[in-house]
Amino acid sequence: MALFKLHVPILDDIKTKGWRSALVATVDQTVERITAGINIGEIRSILRGEAPRRPNPRVKPHADGFWMHMRPTFFHEQVMSLYPTFRLGWLTTYMLVFETITGLFLMLWYTPSPDIAYTNMLSLLSNVPFGLFMRDLHRLGAELMVMLVLLHMLRTFVTGSYKKPRQFTWFTGGVLLLLTLFLSFSGYLLPWDQLALWAVTIGASMAEATPVVGREVNLLVRGGADIGANGLLRFYLLHVFALPLIAFIFVGVHYYKVIIHGHSLPPGAEKVGEDTARKVPMERRLYFLPDVMTRELFWTVGWLALMVFMVTWGGWHAPLEPHADSQITPLHTTAPWYFLWLQGMLKLGDKVFFGVILPGILSGLLFVMPYLEVGPSRRYADRRIGLSIAALTIVIMSVLTFMGTPYYGVSSSPDQEVLTTLAPQTHPGLLRGTAYDELPVGEWVASGWNNAPSQGLQAVLQLYNQEIERYADQLVNAKGKMSITEIQAGLKQVTMQVEWENNGAHASEPLTVYLHRDSAYEH
Amino acid sequence: MITRVALGTVFMVATLMIVSFTAIDEPARMAQFESGYHGRSVEAGAALYANNCATCHGPDGKGIAGRAPAINAADLYNGTRFKEIGWSGTTHDYVHGAIAGGRPRASAAFADYPQRMPTWSREFGGPLRPDQVNNIVDFVMNWEETALLEVVAEKPSDFVAVGLDLKDPVLPKGDVAHGEKLTQTYGCVACHMNPDMNVAPGPGWPAKYYSGGVSIAERAATRFTAADYTGNATSAEEYLRESILQTNVYVVPPYVANIMPKIYGEQMAAQDLADVIAYLQTIK
Repeated sequence: MALFKLHVPILDDIKTKGWRSALVATVDQTVERITAGINIGEIRSILRGEAPRRPNPRVKPHADGFWMHMRPTFFHEQVMSLYPTFRLGWLTTYMLVFETITGLFLMLWYTPSPDIAYTNMLSLLSNVPFGLFMRDLHRLGAELMVMLVLLHMLRTFVTGSYKKPRQFTWFTGGVLLLLTLFLSFSGYLLPWDQLALWAVTIGASMAEATPVVGREVNLLVRGGADIGANGLLRFYLLHVFALPLIAFIFVGVHYYKVIIHGHSLPPGAEKVGEDTARKVPMERRLYFLPDVMTRELFWTVGWLALMVFMVTWGGWHAPLEPHADSQITPLHTTAPWYFLWLQGMLKLGDKVFFGVILPGILSGLLFVMPYLEVGPSRRYADRRIGLSIAALTIVIMSVLTFMGTPYYGVSSSPDQEVLTTLAPQTHPGLLRGTAYDELPVGEWVASGWNNAPSQGLQAVLQLYNQEIERYADQLVNAKGKMSITEIQAGLKQVTMQVEWENNGAHASEPLTVYLHRDSAYEH
Repeated sequence: MITRVALGTVFMVATLMIVSFTAIDEPARMAQFESGYHGRSVEAGAALYANNCATCHGPDGKGIAGRAPAINAADLYNGTRFKEIGWSGTTHDYVHGAIAGGRPRASAAFADYPQRMPTWSREFGGPLRPDQVNNIVDFVMNWEETALLEVVAEKPSDFVAVGLDLKDPVLPKGDVAHGEKLTQTYGCVACHMNPDMNVAPGPGWPAKYYSGGVSIAERAATRFTAADYTGNATSAEEYLRESILQTNVYVVPPYVANIMPKIYGEQMAAQDLADVIAYLQTIK
């Protein structure tokens, strides 16, 4: 008896059937194994758009394959048009995977240390091919993911899909909303620029307002009184490890619940109080292969094309401000846009009540909403109060978001406002964006913008003049001076000085900006 | 379904095309970012230089006699200074090392500079971050191009120093505009025209830069009559002349002695001194 016997079946087949048939049979078998049940003939039939045989051989991968077993074999055709899902859940899931992949690329060039993180960003942008592209995609993906999650939640509310038996699905969705926000927010700190440091400082001081445990939570997150090396490392580990892990677990739970309850039909498609999502009549079934899959791939590719377009020809770029500096607080620093409503609430009054207790109660209500609002009907006509509350909430949130911006309720001195408009600390602004040669050496005054020798300088002085006139009631007899000198080869010093009368006394406020020929802010 | 597949394929091809075009442009984009970032680094360095370095090395880097040497000077970039001190590295590394670590003690070779160069980088106990030190280095190195072209003007052969006396020689009539220029040349403005009163080592000249809110012209006109005045001046002109030449005779508190260099008696001609004094008396 041989200890070891090598048997290659194809050799037997070649002997019996000949080369051609044996090879075709082997390829066919291989394809069928890889697809967990679909052979070449069936793939051709799918591509030709033919209806499946009975029994449907295209459901086999759902039983035999790992990936496909997570997906239902068929959907109700009514949940497969744009309405009622708008593909928001699918796109959100896609964004989570997309962020993981682009994030892994960025991790290759990143070290979570205040000494080197910002330098890492610069070398990523200047020395890594597609470094800017990947960073832009990752950042854009993060913003879009927050939007998609919010819209997905809104859609679920509007169509009443949170109602029994899907309350827990909504609950896990709430957890995923929080996770998405914290994922995005924790990523904010990593570039270690001014935007990062101050947005996170604002966020962390909100956490500090929490009664009883605020100080401890704050210390735990920041890793010290101020955000430093410890805080950066903590945010990094939260961002790349802890939060994604929890998010993937909750996506699993969330999707499992979606599948066992089925996608809820449009509210008008079923009788009040009935849930027929799992009882799909034969003639209304849309099989995953090929209809649902091609739809999903279509949306995936379309969304990718949109994002790639935006970060290249569309000109969308992730911001990168100057190196983080805890000594310099930029004027008009804000939280990320999705936390602006919270910043707006803080302007209403007490930090603890408006910054922690009220938002805490509101988000708590959001989680348990499906268990409290138990009206049986999902139809729009029966839910006038609920839908009105949703509309009102959107309006209030928009107003609060506006109130969170520097345009509302922030009083700083008008002279500084004028100077900051021309040369902001948070983005380049008009002055830095003006071409080097368009800023001629000399002494200029804002009111004489009309006579400036170059178009670029004219625009700058005109804005200067406009801003001074805007605050004319506070800056009495104000004069805006601007002196431009070339202090080195290719380096200009622009000194602006706002002068005005303050109760009869002379007052002035200077600001000096340096501009290098190569700094290319306009790009 | 066919439409979806076709359109999806178009999207995919379009995406790949955009990515390919981006790839072609990547080397140029990276190079542009690098030069752009260098430009911004010089800008940041200029601001840091104005706040931290200009008080000793002068706003234009020409140095201030008695405080610190010139760094906007040909000998730093053409190697002559390095020959004298035995440095064999690059100018960039020398400048970086000098700023980051400072000097352990005052220079023995140059008795003109009694103060030691402070340590600036946080790595060695200084106040600035390493990236800020790099910014200053980029700013200083930006002088190289013009400094190498510069020809050092010799003092004219008929130069006669004004000396230290308050009355002799009698000063000619001063030229205000030239006086203002001289305050730049001699580096006076570094300490006396500094908007940040907490940083400036000397009293500001304009009323707005002086904690008492009074300009140098008004101070000079009244102070020599004050009860606690210990100097020898009997007029506003003499008070200014004394302050410039005999720097330690009377120092207004809280400023301290030995900060203002006592060198101008040898460096200035009578006309220069007259011009500066005339200019100072016009400052408001």
